[in-house]
Amino acid sequence: MFLKLDRIRKEFNGKVAVDDLSLEVPRGVIYGIIGPNGAGKTTTIRMIMNITIPDSGSITLEGARVGKGFTNRVGYLPEERGLYKKMTLQEIMIYLAELKGMAASESSKKLDYWLERIGLMEYKNKKVEELSKGMQQKLQFVTTILHDPDILILDEIFSGLDPLNIELIKDIIMEMKRAEKTILFSTHVMEQAEKLCDHLCMISGGKKVIDGTLTDVKSQFGKNSIQIDIEGDGGFISSLPGVKKMTEFNNYIELHIEDGTDTNGLLKAIADKVLIRRFDIVEPSLYDIFIDMAKIDPLELEREGEVANV
Amino acid sequence: MSKFWVVFKREYAQVVKKKSFLFGIFFMPLFMAGIMLLPAMLADTKASTTEKLAVIDQSEVGVGEGFKESLKRYTLNDSETPYYEVVEVFELSGADSARFTEIEDSLRQTIIDRELKYFLVVKPGAHLCDTCLYLVTNSDNIRSMNRFEYRLSDILSSVRLGISNVNIGVDSVLSLTRRINLPTRDAKGQSLPFLIKYMGALVFVMLMFGMILGYGQMVMRSVLEEKNSRIMEVLVSSVTPFQLMLGKIMGLGAATFTQAAIWVILGAGIYMGRGTFNIDSSIDRLVFNPAIIVFFVLFLVSGYLLYSTIFALIGSIVASEKEAQNFVFPVTMSLILPVMIGIYIIQEPNSTVSLILSMIPFFTPTMMSMRVVFLAPTLESYSVFSGIIAQAIIGFIIVVLTIVGMVWLTSKIFRIGILMYGKRPTLPEIVKWVRY
Repeated sequence: MFLKLDRIRKEFNGKVAVDDLSLEVPRGVIYGIIGPNGAGKTTTIRMIMNITIPDSGSITLEGARVGKGFTNRVGYLPEERGLYKKMTLQEIMIYLAELKGMAASESSKKLDYWLERIGLMEYKNKKVEELSKGMQQKLQFVTTILHDPDILILDEIFSGLDPLNIELIKDIIMEMKRAEKTILFSTHVMEQAEKLCDHLCMISGGKKVIDGTLTDVKSQFGKNSIQIDIEGDGGFISSLPGVKKMTEFNNYIELHIEDGTDTNGLLKAIADKVLIRRFDIVEPSLYDIFIDMAKIDPLELEREGEVANV
Repeated sequence: MSKFWVVFKREYAQVVKKKSFLFGIFFMPLFMAGIMLLPAMLADTKASTTEKLAVIDQSEVGVGEGFKESLKRYTLNDSETPYYEVVEVFELSGADSARFTEIEDSLRQTIIDRELKYFLVVKPGAHLCDTCLYLVTNSDNIRSMNRFEYRLSDILSSVRLGISNVNIGVDSVLSLTRRINLPTRDAKGQSLPFLIKYMGALVFVMLMFGMILGYGQMVMRSVLEEKNSRIMEVLVSSVTPFQLMLGKIMGLGAATFTQAAIWVILGAGIYMGRGTFNIDSSIDRLVFNPAIIVFFVLFLVSGYLLYSTIFALIGSIVASEKEAQNFVFPVTMSLILPVMIGIYIIQEPNSTVSLILSMIPFFTPTMMSMRVVFLAPTLESYSVFSGIIAQAIIGFIIVVLTIVGMVWLTSKIFRIGILMYGKRPTLPEIVKWVRY
């Protein structure tokens, strides 16, 4: 196993932040750590980065404890991120790469490619403070990968990014995966994880809820979800036979049904009372799985572009 | 290249590249020189013109003429033009009060009109009564007042002696009753004048104070900048907090010493232009005293390291510069205190209190440097076994041990404090971090 976390635990002032968490991250995958705010994602990542020391447990990379050699192989973008405002783009890129052990002569050759890629070439010798917020976010991302790391660790990478930058960064992440890099990221937005990850681990309250490949996790839950889009009041649906749970969203309703429920019968029963515009039998979303598994209040999770309405 | 050097290089370049660094190099010595030389220069400018005065003499024993005569010894800088010009001596009888009032009134007007600077009134019996003598003027020139007092004292002494039938001239009185200046000498040889030591100690302490406080606070600001711009977490994922802290302190320290080195080179250049070492020059004896120079450098370096570590600690636990001010104040006080009680140290450099105070590590750099200036062995009788050198070495060792302790303590707190955004930790929390 490439990166392995073995029963790591961390308490802060008597409060358990991470509780005997074990993870296995294979090489060359995009691995998502997902969970609501306060689940322990950032603490876990900081322990991998050796910034926070675990109370117990071990973290190993290719069998060796993470430490000195590890930091140079990693590109890390924390949730709380920033840059020196008074340095020029070129200076700060060289400096941060140098801190990762890359000689200035080498990084100064590579930085043009990345500045071109994120469209900031004309700012190369301007100070960081002259950039807009969106530009700074792109710059932060490329400073993380300039030294060509084997592992990329991104904490809440997409929070606060504008949609164009999200697309740009997703493209670069996919390129890195193709180049056999390992990418570990955390998010509390399930849809992003669903679009990007190969593997994932859900944590809640510092504990692992479920982990595995995206397909494994989903197949465990079977196709027991129905999305419908109706006109009129759908309140009666929750009491129809076979319906375990109904979740109403702005534009559609999601139903969890018992295994072996007659979906045709259900369709008829609904069509009797209201007009159906859409009736979809779907795989459960990560969001549903997570709520189901962690037994948490869905309000703690964010859905991209939609407001949960339970 | 070690990551410590990467941090060191950046911190150094960030300061040295700034325009304010270059400005400071040239402005600081000018400022210091200005502060010290300006008052003297202002006082000296008055000596470029002759001061005019008049005398009303009712003594009937020639005090006025004697005074006029005695002022001839004073000349202006060119040593040819007289310093004082007595335009007229009005000799009146003691009884002629109408004429006295008339002359006094007209002289007052000439002073208001700035034609004369002073006029002296000598009443009858001035040699017997201290209040029978006064000077009318609109400006108090301490130098002239001193001279007048000395000269009149001599003249009146001679008048008194004449009345007692000891008939000698003013010059004889002067030579018989001359005052002396009591020079001090070290038990082992020639010592430096007090004033030179005092100025030397003051310049050293002010330099030390300015550099430690200025650059120490820069360490704090640099830590705060990294916290506030949120680059800190990226940094500590690449370097250890200890490397970061040390790189910062050393990098900014190197900038301090670059500045100091440029001053020394500039100073040496100016000095060489002036002439060579002169054993009889007080300033040369002060500046080229090995004990004074070596300990000044040692205490400047160790003082900077001690205080910049404290400033790094403050930077790591506070969230903003405003919040930092609460902590900076006591630190500044511990640097200022030696300057404030310096006058005592100067008077009693060898007392037990001075010794104990100079052994408190936070005071040692400034206080011990002052004591070294005052107590250093003279060039003629140099001995490395003198008491003050032993004390300074012990003081230095105490400071070094304190630095080691502070660096250890700070690195413990720094590691956690730098990632605490927005919330200032409580004292019990800080104590817990140290125990980790």
